[in-house]
This record gives sequence, structure tokens and C-alpha cells, in this order.
Amino acid sequence: MVITIPRLGNTHMAMRALFDAFGIACIIPENNKAVLQRGTAAAPEDMCLPFKIMMGGFLGAIEQGADTILLTGSCGPCRFGEYGELFSRLLKQTGHPADVIVIDAPAEIGMKTLLSRFGRIAEASRAPRRVKIAALGQAYQILALADALDAAAYKLAGYERETGACARLLAAFRREMRACRGPEAALKVLESYHRQIRRIGMDPSRKPLRVAIAGEVYSMFEPFANLNIEERLMRMGVATERLLTPTWWLRDLVLKPLHLNSPEVKKRSAPYLPVPVGGHARETIAHAEYARQSGMDGVIQIFPMGCMPEIVAKAALHGVDVPVLTLVIDEMTGDAGYDTRIEAFLDMLEARRRRAKRWA
Amino acid sequence: MVIGIPNGLIFRIYGDFARAFFAELGIRTVFSPETDRTILDAGVRSCESEACLPVKLFCGHVAWLRGRCDAILVPRLMRLTKRQSICPMFCGLPELARGAAAGTRLIDAPVYAPECGGLDAWAKQAASAVGAGKRWDAALKAAMAAHENRKAGFCDSGYEHTVALIGHAYNIYDRFVNMDLIRKLHALGIGVITHERVADADIARHMAALSKPPFWYFAQRYYGAALHLLVSAKVDGIIYVSAFGCGVDAVVEALIRDAAGGAAMMTLKLDEHTGAAGFDTRLEAFADMLGRRKANGDHHSPAGEYAYGYAGAV
Repeated sequence: MVITIPRLGNTHMAMRALFDAFGIACIIPENNKAVLQRGTAAAPEDMCLPFKIMMGGFLGAIEQGADTILLTGSCGPCRFGEYGELFSRLLKQTGHPADVIVIDAPAEIGMKTLLSRFGRIAEASRAPRRVKIAALGQAYQILALADALDAAAYKLAGYERETGACARLLAAFRREMRACRGPEAALKVLESYHRQIRRIGMDPSRKPLRVAIAGEVYSMFEPFANLNIEERLMRMGVATERLLTPTWWLRDLVLKPLHLNSPEVKKRSAPYLPVPVGGHARETIAHAEYARQSGMDGVIQIFPMGCMPEIVAKAALHGVDVPVLTLVIDEMTGDAGYDTRIEAFLDMLEARRRRAKRWA
Repeated sequence: MVIGIPNGLIFRIYGDFARAFFAELGIRTVFSPETDRTILDAGVRSCESEACLPVKLFCGHVAWLRGRCDAILVPRLMRLTKRQSICPMFCGLPELARGAAAGTRLIDAPVYAPECGGLDAWAKQAASAVGAGKRWDAALKAAMAAHENRKAGFCDSGYEHTVALIGHAYNIYDRFVNMDLIRKLHALGIGVITHERVADADIARHMAALSKPPFWYFAQRYYGAALHLLVSAKVDGIIYVSAFGCGVDAVVEALIRDAAGGAAMMTLKLDEHTGAAGFDTRLEAFADMLGRRKANGDHHSPAGEYAYGYAGAV
């Protein structure tokens, strides 16, 4: 069994370490323009961007020998829940057949079905049970540490003495992780970079623009799907914060049946959107409300073209008293126009600050 | 008090229901007229630019009702049956329509599946919103009766060809946005059958064959109906009417196309820029093709292969 999974932000670091420990071969596709182009050609034209990116990645991975696709699922109302069925049919059509294993939430498909789907993967591994359980814990640790490192760098970029120090650190970290095999080595790299980021020179007297990043979940996790929004903002000296990370999502998956995850999400979004409409529309609104309450300068909402829940969120965001820039992304979004819009938004936020000071 | 009912989206199906409900409560209703250019333009102006065409049209109808009534009925459809979702846009319809309503009160009580209160809960809230909370029960009964008795869908016979006309009610029955599609098909000698005339049991049978049935209520109906009509040879082909930007259509159309194999299938995509000439040409070409397939004993060259046996790259 050779597994392939979609590249999804930091999750690939954890999954790579996990499959290394399990002794299962795993191909994680790169995300780039060529992959997207392939996916766009093979996917129905109206499907959303994440589908096209994943499709391109899977086609490449299957050509390299992958035979099983591992995918998380959902049962509506967003389109993501239909991905599995569509992938297996379209891949067959294009002569790249593969097994698609969908990991749905246990609340939807029942614990038994879920465990049997996991079982198909565990069967392929010869590693002893003890090693497997330890690896699961380590994989979670890797994910949490990597997300924490990202979050720290995104926030600290607004305060660094030497512009670009945080961005360079993250780039070096990603390069080193790429060459890294096995959970122990990955954890060692992570610890070293957590130490390094604490040594970057900071100027606490700076008052950088503070921007919240919110939107559709795939665009939040995967820098390729948001055209590296956070890296762009780091280079512009903006401190950013984001609620949706893979770690958050994993906690959400486990805690949702118990209604324990992020109680503040429901509370903060309720005045603007009283019901869940699928996807992460509520989280988008809750994060914008959080940005307003904590005096941040603005919110950037990002979603792929045609994303149904986020369009509802966009309409509801009109009610939140905070500046919002909505960036809609598809396979034709270009760099230059993207930068221009972000720069114009930041200019406006700075002007608002100056005006507020003058009137105070 | 006058309640405005926008003549778009769900009210293409539940229009009679809404009319009967408020009539029984003794409340006057006003429907927006058939879609026209003004309504489309008002919708495009007042709605989120990323929304799909049907939602924009709905906003146009809401904008027309503004100033002509005291409150507008914009229900929040959450679930129609257990474990089946509905498009997120329906769940957030009041949010999307608020701009078009421009301050006019919305009656936006949510509709859940029968297991979670269902229509009773909606009827109670809607009736009390118009100050007639006590009579919700009788009103709901009258509304249900009106909905059951309505004449829905097409099941034509006596035409040269018959096709399964698949797509959302608000695309198929809105004669402005689909440029009078059904009349044009009839004129070309093509009769249509729509999903309303396919039995639930036939649809369930085709769902059972899927590894995971689509979780949208309407997607199940469309997929099941298209396949049933095709397999039972009641139709010669499928015409899928899809609206630009519809996320559900993107998935369902791909699933049907895959399952339909080599059957004749055409997708008509509607948006605010669609011109009638190109549309008519496609319909005529499809009619010609159906005729030729019949003449050739359904023998046709598979896609990608050419007349001299050369199989090129697809």
C-alpha cells in the first residue's frame, strides 16, 4: 500500500512522521502552479479550488506509485463532503484508479465504520502496536509545535528589529523539515526552531498593524491556496493572527460531539449569524468579532471562488464593525493584483489610525 | 398587514404553500412578478457579488417587494429530512437578502427536519411574527394541502424525443432566466420529464448503489431521477440546467455525467450574460443529434476517436 494525502499546511509534517514510524510508504504531492494546472484540466470547471489543487496532486502521486488516497470528510452541507466520491470516479475516468479512504466524523458514519477504515491502514503496517501508539502522540506533538511556531512568527513579524527575520526563520524551518525523516528527528528540529525564534531581536515599542486572517479552512491551512498571505504580510511588517489551524481543527473534530470546543465561537458569531451554515462560516465571523473586541486594525477574509458557506459569512460580516478585505481566489488569481489589493487595504488601515489620532 | 413573498428559489416550489398559509391566517400576501430585466439588475446590485445567479435573482425579487409590503418571507431552510443537508446559501438566505430588503422586516424563522420540530416550529414562529400565533395549526394544514395538490413538474408524451430535464426548480421554471427553455424544446419536438414525476422508491434504488449518497436533498433527487429515467429507457437523453456559481450543480452534474456513460447529455449553464442566440443553437444541435442517434440505431462514434480509426489524445 502506498498512500497519498493532500498537502495541507503543516499536516504533512505530522503525517510524514506518522507514516515513517508506521513503515508505510507515503507520497505527499507538492502544491505548485503545474499541479494546479493539471488538476484544473481534470476537474469539473465549477468545482472549487481545493478540489482542483488536490486533483492535480493525486494525479502526480498515482503516477509515482500511490494506490490509496486518504482524505478527511464531512457530511455537508459544504461541497467538501462530496470530494471522495468525485475523486474516485474522476481518477478512474482519467486512467489513474485509486482506493479512496474517507475519514468522516464518527458522529456521522458511526465509530465502527470509522475504525474499520483506520484498520485498513493499520493492517498495512508491520510496526508493533506500542510504536504505533507512540507515533500517534508524536505526530500530534509535531503538528501542535509546527502550528505554534507559525503563529509566533506571524505575530512577532510586526515587532522584529530586522525586517524579514521571522520570515527567514520560517523558510529555513520548512527547508529543514523537508529533509527530515521520522518523528524524533522532526521533534528535534522543531525544538531548535522554537529556541531560535525566542532569540530574534524584538522592539516592543513598535505599534504594527494587527490583522486577523479568517476564511475557508483549506485556504487557511495551505499557503499555496491563499497565495502565501501571511508571508506577504510578514514582509510588510504586519502582525497577523489566525484562529483556524490544523491543530485547532483536530481538537474540534474530537471535542465537537461533546460541544466542548471553542465555546466562544458560538457566542461571538451568534449576533451576526444565529445558525451554523456549514464550512467554517461561524468561525470566520467569530474571529472577526474577536478582532473587533481586541482592537485589531482589520480582518482579511479569504475563500476560493464559489465557496458557499463563506459567501454567507461575507454577507454577515457587513454587520461586524471592523474593516474587512475579502479576497476570493481561483486558478487565475495573479500575484500583482493580489499585492495591490492588500497594500491598498493596509494603507487604508494606517489612514484610519492617523485619523483616529487626530480626532482624539 | 401585507406579507411579501419573493418569486424565486424555494418559492418556485413552496409558493402555493406560503400563499395558503397566510390566507388561512387572514393575512394578505403579495408575490413579486415573474423575473424580468429590472429584477435581475436589482438583484445583481444588492447581493454579494460572489453569490450564485439564483440567489442574486432572489435578492432582486426581495428588492421589488421593498415598499410594497410590511414584511418579507425569507425562511432559513436548514434541513428537509434527517441526515440530509441543503445548500449553505439556503441556511444563510436571510443574511444574503438583508441588503436587498434595506430595512424591511424579514420573517426568517428556520425550517428543520421533522425530527427537530420540523414545520410545526416554523409555523408557530411565522404565525406569531404576523400576530396570529394561535391559528398556526390550521394554517399549516391548509398550506400542506395546497402543497400536496399543486401540479408540479412535467411528464410529456407524444413528442418525437423525450429528455430528462434536470436542474433546480428555480432554473427550470423561471422562464426569463432560462429563456423559455421548455417552450423551445417543445417547438423542437422534444418532450421533457422532470424529477417531480419520479417515484421516491426509484430514486432510493439508485442511491443504494453509491458508496456515499450525496447529502443534499435535491442532489439525491436529481441524480436518482436522471439515472432512473435513463436506465428505464423513458428518455433519449439528459439536459442539465445549471446556474453559474452553483456549488451543488457542479458536483451533481459531474456525478450524473459519469454515471450516464455514453448517453446523450447536455449541460446548459445560465448566467446573467447568457445570450439567446448561442443558447438556441445548442438546443437545435442537441435535437439534431438525438434524431441522428435514432436514425443510426444509437450507434455513434465515441468521444476522441476519429473517422479513420485514428484514436487521438483526449
